[in-house]
Amino acid sequence: MDELKDELIAAKKTYTLYELNNLIKAEIADAFPAAYWITAEIAEAKCNQRGHCYLDLVEKEDDRTIAQIKATIWAYEYRRLAYRFEAATGETLKRGMKILFLASVGFHEVYGLSLNVRDIDPTYTMGEMARRKREVIERLTREGIMDLNKRLSLPLVPQRVAVVSSPTAAGYGDFANQLDNNPYGYSFVRLLFPALMQGQVAENSIISALEEIRRKRRLFDVAVIIRGGGSVVDLNCFDGYPLASHIAKFPLPVITGIGHEKDDTVVDLVAHTRMKTPTAVAEFLISGVRGFDERIMELRNRLVTFSEQMLKDETHRLHSLGQRLRFLPVRLRAAVENRLLVLESGLSASVWRLMQKEENRLHRIEQAVRLLDPQNVLKRGYSITRRKGKVLRDASSVRRGDVLETTLHSGSITSVVARKGDNAEDEQKQTDNLLPGFD
Amino acid sequence: MSRSRQITYSQALTELEKIVSEIESEEIDVDAVAEKVKRAAFLITLCRSRLKDTGEEVKKVLAGMEEKTEGGETMIEDLGLD
Repeated sequence: MDELKDELIAAKKTYTLYELNNLIKAEIADAFPAAYWITAEIAEAKCNQRGHCYLDLVEKEDDRTIAQIKATIWAYEYRRLAYRFEAATGETLKRGMKILFLASVGFHEVYGLSLNVRDIDPTYTMGEMARRKREVIERLTREGIMDLNKRLSLPLVPQRVAVVSSPTAAGYGDFANQLDNNPYGYSFVRLLFPALMQGQVAENSIISALEEIRRKRRLFDVAVIIRGGGSVVDLNCFDGYPLASHIAKFPLPVITGIGHEKDDTVVDLVAHTRMKTPTAVAEFLISGVRGFDERIMELRNRLVTFSEQMLKDETHRLHSLGQRLRFLPVRLRAAVENRLLVLESGLSASVWRLMQKEENRLHRIEQAVRLLDPQNVLKRGYSITRRKGKVLRDASSVRRGDVLETTLHSGSITSVVARKGDNAEDEQKQTDNLLPGFD
Repeated sequence: MSRSRQITYSQALTELEKIVSEIESEEIDVDAVAEKVKRAAFLITLCRSRLKDTGEEVKKVLAGMEEKTEGGETMIEDLGLD
């Protein structure tokens, strides 16, 4: 054994590190002559001032790293690749992203083993992003919170607005301007809850702002998440589960105006209402207030119309009552006159009857009187005897020789008493007999 | 002012709708109409003026809040660490 060992030591060739690394480099170049399409996840991505991009690439299995390697995209390649990648995916290369790339394996004497990225296929990443987005949506659906925020009813008057935005974003300025200068002169209360709307921290920053609003939710009618005027990339912070579930469970309706033309982000999907731009969000709020105003005005118009109609009706009624009243005296008089006429005719009839009755009575009296008229009595053969102008009723005072004047029905006789009888009683009886009929 | 504060938009709207339908259905007599129309006019004016002026009260609350929010920025950071 010792011999062998000695032999080896005697035969030993020593290398400098540089020589060794060069050997490795040569071996690797021989072993991996081509470039290969590889899939990996970006664990870290950094660009230096010269424009070179350095990546840490990993492969994970159940969150455990099972492979790792460094990779480089040289500046002249990176500019081209990054442009194409962003145009296709709307994203920059960043941590957590899965990529499919063409790379050659290289070994550098100082920097060691690394991959040299020549090309990146953005469709793979897009597919990955879509898959992840789908997963988030599936999870939200599974948890039954996908439509939670949508189920909140919009406030009758969305006048108090909590805004999550970057204070420096042009989109925020547009939003505030639109809202404050609305043509109807509505007054909005809007308060900004500042958040970073881009990059790695955006998601947590937005969640924090939402938490702040949640604590003061009684002071607001709606929450608005707006972004815009910035780059069109980096929207995948709006596709993550934490922010999406936060928005879904938010106690106020959330309106988004994230400012992009691409497919809706998950945040857009869970939000109560999705608008394309911050300006559109402002318009939406204004139209909400306008809607209420119009309802009030409609009620007002109905009230006015109806009141006017009612007033008209009442006036009309009063008028017709007035008309009737105006004719009333005439009619009343007519009625009274008529009544009088009736009374009058009734009266004259009874008067006539009364008169008739009286007349009959008079007639009867007249007849009786006529019967008693001395002339009529005389006519029937009776006569009146007077002595010295005085009517004689009793023969007892008459003496022989008295001059008596006898009045007959026609003419008179003057005679002298020759003899005197005493039948005064018979005479009296005869007079009594005349009395019946004298009522 | 304090009385009107206590009426929400939806309460005002509900009451207004009730008044208008009552009057339109002619369920109330002319004397009551005058009173109702007066109330409706009050509610309409109240709503419309509040649409155009959110009121000092709200502004005050918000002014107080804004100070708090500035002080509360640390809270945002605290939450971010969670």
